[in-house]
Amino acid sequence: MINLRLWGSQNWRLLLAIVIFALIYGSYSYMHPSGGTNRLFVQNANEIFVLVMVSMAQTIPVLTGGLDLSVGAIMTLTNTVASEVVNGSPSEILLGIILCLVVSSLCGFINGCIIVFGRLQPIIVTLATGAVFMGLALFIRPSPGGNVDSDLSFAMTFDLNEIFLTYKWPLPTWFESTVGLIPTPLVLILIVVFAIWLPFRSSVTGRGCYAIGSSMGAAYMSGLDVDRSKIAAYTLSGLLAGIGGLYLALQTGSGNADVPQAGAYTLNSIAAVVIGGTSLYGGIGGVIGSIFGAMSLRSISFNFRVFDADGPLGFIADPLLQPLFEGTILLLAVSIGAASVFRIKNRLKLFG
Amino acid sequence: MKFISKSNMANLLLSAGLMFTMLSGQALAGPKVVSGPGALPSCFAPWAKDTTFLQWEKRKGPYKIAVVNGFVGNSWRIQMVQTVKAYVEQPEIKAQISEFKVVSTGTDVAAQLGAIEDFINQGYDAIITIAVSPAGFDRVIRIADRNNVILVPFDNILDTTDVMMVNENQWQMGEMAAEHLIKYAGKSGKVLEIRGLAGNTVDRDRHLGFRSIMEAAGNDFDIVEVVGNWDDGQAQKVAADALAIHGKFMGMYVQGGSTGAVRAFMDAGHDFVPVAGEAENGFRKLIAKHAKDGLIGLSMGQTPGLGAISVKAALSALAGNKMPQLIAIPIPFVDHTTLKDGVNYWADLDDNFFTANEFPACDVNISAVDIMAQTKEDSH
Repeated sequence: MINLRLWGSQNWRLLLAIVIFALIYGSYSYMHPSGGTNRLFVQNANEIFVLVMVSMAQTIPVLTGGLDLSVGAIMTLTNTVASEVVNGSPSEILLGIILCLVVSSLCGFINGCIIVFGRLQPIIVTLATGAVFMGLALFIRPSPGGNVDSDLSFAMTFDLNEIFLTYKWPLPTWFESTVGLIPTPLVLILIVVFAIWLPFRSSVTGRGCYAIGSSMGAAYMSGLDVDRSKIAAYTLSGLLAGIGGLYLALQTGSGNADVPQAGAYTLNSIAAVVIGGTSLYGGIGGVIGSIFGAMSLRSISFNFRVFDADGPLGFIADPLLQPLFEGTILLLAVSIGAASVFRIKNRLKLFG
Repeated sequence: MKFISKSNMANLLLSAGLMFTMLSGQALAGPKVVSGPGALPSCFAPWAKDTTFLQWEKRKGPYKIAVVNGFVGNSWRIQMVQTVKAYVEQPEIKAQISEFKVVSTGTDVAAQLGAIEDFINQGYDAIITIAVSPAGFDRVIRIADRNNVILVPFDNILDTTDVMMVNENQWQMGEMAAEHLIKYAGKSGKVLEIRGLAGNTVDRDRHLGFRSIMEAAGNDFDIVEVVGNWDDGQAQKVAADALAIHGKFMGMYVQGGSTGAVRAFMDAGHDFVPVAGEAENGFRKLIAKHAKDGLIGLSMGQTPGLGAISVKAALSALAGNKMPQLIAIPIPFVDHTTLKDGVNYWADLDDNFFTANEFPACDVNISAVDIMAQTKEDSH
């Protein structure tokens, strides 16, 4: 039997992230004229997907006590690669997708190798490699554009029904009105969680990442392969960022080596990781929290679209003040997670 | 008059019902491509001879209209937002609009696409936007067409012919700058070109238009190219750097941040030279003051009023008028001979104010004073 109390005390950060998301997204859906409909879920799922992937990518290095400043750049690089190769016949498209994921994993692998074998700080290494990846992206796609298979693009960015409709597969009626209404991006997130994250977390290498983040010395003395775990963490991070970049290519039908956008994704991913309850010191948290963190972060700005500008709180919807309020709410959300320090009995615990 | 029998009526209803299911389902609605001329051609001028015309089904007002801005953070964007807000407050426009919303989504294309889709899902009739990227909007255009929503990109427009767009001809603006420099500074020598934000169409087209004239046969220019991101501070810094390295220029084209760029010349003790630049009030003030010393200036504006004109274009399209697919707004420009205080620049207003705001041909007349009043009210 699962001890609920124990589970709760171990996962209160995750629960908090879910509550924050429910509050922010709930207020938006409540005010939205199409709130609760499949159309709106599809739209929101599309908006959050890339940030969710990049935040998941950020989480794993953070768990090891590191930080990856190149996730936005890897996402962008994969996005530009995808705009070149994800087109043509079905087998070419498949090869193109595999190539994208190989490229992004390779970027992460290079990060991991430099950090481990160069014995360098992750933050500096990934700052440098991020610039390199961004340069490659600009080289591949100096101006925005490219060619991404439009059928695949349409099929992947709506609900499951759309996949059947696009490829003209027979659509069972029971499916159409139930499972078929689920937004495809949400299904993709679940696949990533169940096929990549959960197996990784329960593996020795994955548990090693947590151990390193808690105490690298202890992990080493316990006989864990520290190097392997670290390289695996960065490689997996690259892969996840790559999935995000690939999806962005499908969503926009093109590639764009957009420097400010890459930077914004990297910074937002760190914020999402923190809202999601992963400690920046490492060892505590997980990607599921980051999923909710990323969704909360995105949902803040959703609210500006439905706020009644003539209402009592209309000033919040002022377009020039929106970044201010977005930042304030973000700060509040992050602070709630830190509120536990008030309950600490001995200040020395803060340093433990 | 034709008499409709009961059975015909039933058929009609049936086909209307069928139409509805088709609209809400897979069928693509959206505009019809028609032949011109369009409505109000003095304002909504077609871009080129081969520009097509689009027509949407006429629908009943008042309309719901949203503006999806990209990033906010330079004075042009802020003034654009203020101008649109002032425009929709004018009584004859206010009567046509039931709901009006402005959001800024930052530099992230996914967020901008999401916001546009959101307003489509909220049942808005038209969405005005400054695209973050010239590509990547195909999906959202398809959704807009499905739902019969009019999407109007302006300023940074898209590389597509499927939507109605509003802009000034940036290429032509670059050409005008080159012609000004050639006219007043000769056909050879060292010229400083200060470019704008990399990667978008405005910067690209102005640059290519400028180069198309400067690099034509018979000219022998040495063009030094730097990037000032349309910002006074940055343009001033890169101009100062270029002056430190190259010493002397015989002319300058600055895409934006012109006041700062000219200040860099003054700070370096460089002689005044012919300059083509943007329509910032500060730049025009400097031309007015120093034209006699050699600051032969051409000031042309990407007007922040484009947003207001785009709203007008959307209203016209919603009323069922034929509209050019790509609308060219006449380029407002003045040079050192035509500057006049209180008319096309304001000696007592801020340097950052963009001067080109009145378009009699479009019946869009929002004076500098109105906009400044709007700005001031909001900052309180």
